[in-house]
Amino acid sequence: MLKLNQVHTAIGGLQIIQNVSLEIGKGEFVALLGSNGAGKTTLFRTIAGVLKPHAGSVTFEGVPIDRLPVHKIVERGLVLCPQGRQLFPELSVQKNLLLGAYPIRGEKKRIQKNLDRVYALFPILRERINQKAGTFSGGEQQMLAIGRALMSEPKMLLLDEPSVGLAPLIVKLIADVISNINQEMDTTVFLSEQNANMALNITQRGYVLESGRCVLDGDCQHLKTDEKVRKAYIGA
Amino acid sequence: MELFLQQVFNGIMFGSTYAIVALGLTLVMGILNIPNFAHGHLYMLGGYITFFFIGTLGLGFWPSLVLTLIVLGLLGVLMERIVYRPLTDQPHINAFIAAIGALIFLESLALVVWGPQGLRIPNPYPQNFELLGITIGLQRLLVIIGAITLIFGLHVFMKHTILGTTIEAVAQNREGAMLNGINVNRVSAVTFAISSATAAVAASFLSPIFMLSPSMGAILGMKAFIIVILGGMGSIPGAILGGYILGVIEALGGGYISAAYKDVFAFGALIIILTVKPTGIFGKKEA
Repeated sequence: MLKLNQVHTAIGGLQIIQNVSLEIGKGEFVALLGSNGAGKTTLFRTIAGVLKPHAGSVTFEGVPIDRLPVHKIVERGLVLCPQGRQLFPELSVQKNLLLGAYPIRGEKKRIQKNLDRVYALFPILRERINQKAGTFSGGEQQMLAIGRALMSEPKMLLLDEPSVGLAPLIVKLIADVISNINQEMDTTVFLSEQNANMALNITQRGYVLESGRCVLDGDCQHLKTDEKVRKAYIGA
Repeated sequence: MELFLQQVFNGIMFGSTYAIVALGLTLVMGILNIPNFAHGHLYMLGGYITFFFIGTLGLGFWPSLVLTLIVLGLLGVLMERIVYRPLTDQPHINAFIAAIGALIFLESLALVVWGPQGLRIPNPYPQNFELLGITIGLQRLLVIIGAITLIFGLHVFMKHTILGTTIEAVAQNREGAMLNGINVNRVSAVTFAISSATAAVAASFLSPIFMLSPSMGAILGMKAFIIVILGGMGSIPGAILGGYILGVIEALGGGYISAAYKDVFAFGALIIILTVKPTGIFGKKEA
């Protein structure tokens, strides 16, 4: 479904992503592990089209997308739920969610169905329909960001560090929801995490990124027992 | 009392124009994060285009107003496309310089086409009537009603349509908007169209009352900036309220003290308000 072939990305002349190749099939649930500064966010921003790779290619469902503007990639069904959430702080919960449905604007029934689905996943959002997003706690903002990303019914969802800075209880809740999105909604999910423990427990397989290079990949059972992964990311 | 009411009425009329021009300016500033110094010049050009339709082609006031709105809306789109969009990823100073270039170009254009002497558009509604002891010109009343209608229309557009909401979304988080599938370039173009078209409408309403001159854009543009700062950067209610406050202060100062100092009152008010509340009336703390 998603294929990266020898992707290189630089920011301001600095090489961040070096020669990354990976492939994710339809319906898969894959983790992207790496410490702070490994290049996870840059890689996701490259896939979403916010950054353009200077070498290599990104294809989604067989179509090259690395030269497309971001909104065209979203229209194809590949949506990034970004780190830092990137919500619209002065707009209400409802409006944030409706903007998430921008690619399917005009299709009232579909939008209402998706809205109900998001409220079912995160009942707290329904209680705060008219509250401004900027007044939310970190966990609530993360829920809203995930909800917003789901509003256009993406075929594939990129989740950039949804657990960062959140209390363990909220992390657990969000992990459950993400698994649910993958299993019940049949959405392909690519999850970036520093919290390797959480990620490896819910995903099927993973890639490990180090200084912008993909140094390891394999199924979760294998990664969990890998000496390097244990030392670096699980701390056991 | 009559003098007071008369000045307040005049102040509200000027304030209506200021509010609309400042509203357009604040919309564009919110979207692009750069001040469009040429905004007042779009207003000026709106006045001249109205003159062209009424004076040169002999069309009626209302058709001319609609045509001016369309012409300036398209000009706004063109300006965004050729002046500002190529500079999106460049340092802010480049856009500043481009804005000043656009301003000089528009003013010179008006000078070449229409000449430096003041031009007058025949007043379509020269009638006056008396109310509470003050004289109200029908065209002046029309300026106020037109402005309120426009502000109300814009409010409905911004709050109750998805296209209007995308303008707010892009202003609040450009990258967040892109990641939601919003074409930010198109939103910029639409915002520019609205901003210039509303400035043009303000000019169409006001120009039958005052002389047109190529330099009138610079003064109004400057005042629009005062209002935007006064009302709080990026705040739409701030721009509207600021516009009316400035209009009334100018009119009262001009009426009671001296009309020659009316700009002094405007800048004086700015200094006082910013001393008391540095972020402007509706301003937020810097994020």
